[in-house]
Amino acid sequence: MGFLSGVFKKKELEIGSPATGTCVSIKEVPDPTFSEEILGKGVAVKPSEGKFFAPAAGTVNTLFPTKHAVGITTQEGAEILIHVGLDTVNLKGEHFTAHVKEGDSVEKGALLLEADLAAIEQAGYNTITPVLICNTGDFADVAPDIAGEVAPGACVLRIKLK
Amino acid sequence: MKTVEYVITDPVGLHARPAGLFVKKAAEYQSGITVKNMENGKSVDAKRIMAVMSLGVKQGNKIELSIEGTDEDTAATELEAFLKENL
Repeated sequence: MGFLSGVFKKKELEIGSPATGTCVSIKEVPDPTFSEEILGKGVAVKPSEGKFFAPAAGTVNTLFPTKHAVGITTQEGAEILIHVGLDTVNLKGEHFTAHVKEGDSVEKGALLLEADLAAIEQAGYNTITPVLICNTGDFADVAPDIAGEVAPGACVLRIKLK
Repeated sequence: MKTVEYVITDPVGLHARPAGLFVKKAAEYQSGITVKNMENGKSVDAKRIMAVMSLGVKQGNKIELSIEGTDEDTAATELEAFLKENL
C-alpha cells in the first residue's frame, strides 16, 4: 500500500478552533474525563473571548439544555464535541446563550454559543474548552495541531479519514 | 435479548463524564446494546458517546438498555451494577 498512499492522498478533515484563545494539549485539561481521552481525542482552547463558533460545517446534533456544550456531526461523520469550561454543567445554563438549536445545519464559523467568561470564572469555574472527536475510533487518525494563539477557525485538529 | 431498566440518580444526568464512562463500559461487550430514554422514547447505540449524550437523559429519567448477543447475560449483570454504582 506504500506507493498507493502516495498516489491516492488520503482525505483529511481540518477542525478549526471554536474560539479566540490559546490552543493547548488535551493533557493539560485538569479533568481526567478529557485528559484521559475518555470522550475521544482532541485539543483544548483557553478562550480569551466568549464567542464560540462552529469548528467545521455540519449538523448540530446535541445541544445540552445547560447550553455549555454542543455536538456537531460533519458530513464526513466526525462527531465534534465542544465543551465550554469544566464542570460548567452545574451552572445550569447561567452565563450561556445559545445561538443554534438541535437539528440546525451550520457552516464553519457560524456562531454557536456565547459565554460570559468573566462571570463563569467569577463563579469558580475554569473556562478551558476541550474540543474532541467523540468517535475517534471511526477514523484512521485524529492528530492535534497545537498552534498556540489561535483565531476562530484556525486548524487545531486534523482527522484522517479511513 | 436482555433488558435492564434504571432510573438515573446522578444530578447532572447522562452528561460528559458519566456518559463517557458508560459508553466505554458498554463497548467492552460483543453484544449489540441500545439505550433508550423512556422520557422521550429516543433510542441509540450505547457504544457511541455523542449519541448517548444526545438522549438528554436527566436526573430522575428512566433508561432502558436492550442487550443482544453472545455475552448478553454478563453484559446485563455488569452494566446494571455499573449504572447503580456510577449513575
